[in-house]
Amino acid sequence: MDLPSAARSGLLPALVEAHTRCGAIDASEAGRIAAGLRMPAALAWEAASSFPDFERETARGAEPVCVGPACLAAGAIAGPGQVAVECQHRCFEAPAAGEDAPFPESAIRLAGPLLAPEDTDWRGLDAARASGRDGVLAGLERSGLRGRGGAYFPVASKWSAALARERPLALVVNAEEGEPGVYKDRALLCRRPRRFVEGLAIAIEALAPAVTVIFLNGRAQGAMESMRSALESHGDILPAAPRVVRGGGGYVLGEETTMLNAIEGRKPVPRVRPPFPVESGLWGMPTVVNNVETIASLAVIFREGAAAFRARGTAAAPGTRLLSVSGAVARPGVYEVEMGVTIARVLEMAGGPAARPIVAALAGGPSGGFLPESTFGTPLLPGQLHATGAALGAGGLLFLDSPAAVRKTALYLAEFNAAESCGKCTPCREGAPRAHEMLASGNKAGLEDLLEVMAVASLCGLGQMAPGPIRSALHFWPELFA
Amino acid sequence: MSLTVDGIEAPAEGTLLDAVLAAGIGLPHLCTDDNLAAIGACRTCLVEADGRIVAACSAPASQFHQVATRGAVVERIRRGVLELTAAMVSPGSLDRPGGPHAGELAAALASHSARLDRYPHRTRTRSDATNTFFSFHEEACILCGRCVAACQELQHIGAIGMAGRGGATRVTPGADATFADSICTSCGSCVAACPTPALSPREAFAP
Repeated sequence: MDLPSAARSGLLPALVEAHTRCGAIDASEAGRIAAGLRMPAALAWEAASSFPDFERETARGAEPVCVGPACLAAGAIAGPGQVAVECQHRCFEAPAAGEDAPFPESAIRLAGPLLAPEDTDWRGLDAARASGRDGVLAGLERSGLRGRGGAYFPVASKWSAALARERPLALVVNAEEGEPGVYKDRALLCRRPRRFVEGLAIAIEALAPAVTVIFLNGRAQGAMESMRSALESHGDILPAAPRVVRGGGGYVLGEETTMLNAIEGRKPVPRVRPPFPVESGLWGMPTVVNNVETIASLAVIFREGAAAFRARGTAAAPGTRLLSVSGAVARPGVYEVEMGVTIARVLEMAGGPAARPIVAALAGGPSGGFLPESTFGTPLLPGQLHATGAALGAGGLLFLDSPAAVRKTALYLAEFNAAESCGKCTPCREGAPRAHEMLASGNKAGLEDLLEVMAVASLCGLGQMAPGPIRSALHFWPELFA
Repeated sequence: MSLTVDGIEAPAEGTLLDAVLAAGIGLPHLCTDDNLAAIGACRTCLVEADGRIVAACSAPASQFHQVATRGAVVERIRRGVLELTAAMVSPGSLDRPGGPHAGELAAALASHSARLDRYPHRTRTRSDATNTFFSFHEEACILCGRCVAACQELQHIGAIGMAGRGGATRVTPGADATFADSICTSCGSCVAACPTPALSPREAFAP
């Protein structure tokens, strides 16, 4: 099926192409692209100027040096001839530098069914095909699979809600993975792409989407090449080639409605909900948005059976999930663990402290919070791990070995959330920079009031959860911010 | 199922904002006007609905039973959002004459006893007086998005957009463009929608 609004949806691919070809996109370049797509220049400019990557010259000569949280904690600093860049999602080799490279097999530290060596047959897909749509939905329901992007919404419920509209629907795979400290989708796409393709085929088989889009992080070149090659080699199992769209950066791009706007060629900002994407998403179609790991889990569930999937994890949160473990541990990397494992156990699996004793863990990145070592008995389960902010989220765990590192990371995350605010809603756009200023200056009068406003009033999860790192750091280490 | 707003029976149709206004109760709604779908940007129409705080503009009335616009927590948070909004406009800029809805922000600030100096001001200062019929003063702009929605969704023109992100977001006809050299047709929809005097009729055309 041809895509609706084809002209406007050509905007982001055209911007990506122009940026790759000639670096930073200015208004005149955006204007030329707009003219080619026969759309108003102001509309192309509002979208183009909202993707941080398009502001940057394509670095030539200068070596990128990662200054994301894990690299910062490892002492990263950009020297002469180098350029500081946001998290490169290579926290397993912090401090990281250089261009994006394929995720190395050696950084897969613990494999379960998701990260096991790839299969040579399509038994999962065959089983799904044999059971038909209703059988797949029933199997999914029995498995209890919950979305691995971080919100843990039951996948069977999401699919059923979209199918219940009885209208042509869209399937969007969220492969943006823009959260600092998370790199597990890159691991899957680089090292187990065939499993992802099998899961995708199962989803397409069951949902029969009119449109399938894989939205992939614009900088994840290694994952792009590996995925493209797998889609080409195994294209025969997919009824139609999915459309692959690359992003232009920005943490908020991983928020699903922001992603839908980006695909449509609109400014990448969140939409109000309701309507939820399953009701009205991409071009108004009922839309299922699933994370890469969720899609790959389908292959595991239909290969091993729902009961085998349920045998791992907990009753309410079955299965395994991928953790991106980084920081001051002996063996940082991707760990496939059963849901419900404790942080202490993860630390042990990761070989314990690399040098000094661990004092804190950041769980959930910029949308999560810090936990002191005394709480490491907490099991990793969906939802908040602590009322002050820590959450399992997309499975990022950063271990820190000094109070100074906690302070540095908290300030980094407060600044990150301010810089990554898309600017659409007032509490986040106006609140996040002031929250960062208050934390940095130590003048915290009114800070809790401000954090409450951001948490309750913000439009999307980015603003609602931005208080987490600040609140948790202040709760457990008030003396660091006096 | 019945819906009450502050104890008053209200029609459970459309959004909670529709229900609140139909019950004759005042509630700020700086990014929503009658002609446009919910934008969800200003976050000033927060109400407490069945124990949750939600933005009334985008909450379906049929899903709720008891709605309160009053209450310590919801009023404190609305005031907080309004105080952040107040910090976006320069002192005095709201006193300027404007379009038909230009007084909405000032009225919301007054009804909530919002402190205008709660947060250090962070105002944008560009002006554009190149159009014959209206002018644009960023110092009174709160980035609610009504003007952009009116231009793009209501009039299908697309002369203006919300360029940039985060604190650098601004309403603009293009990077260095002016209204005069944009595709603006001077239809006036943006001026009619603006809840502050940011987009205001030129003196000769003021109502």
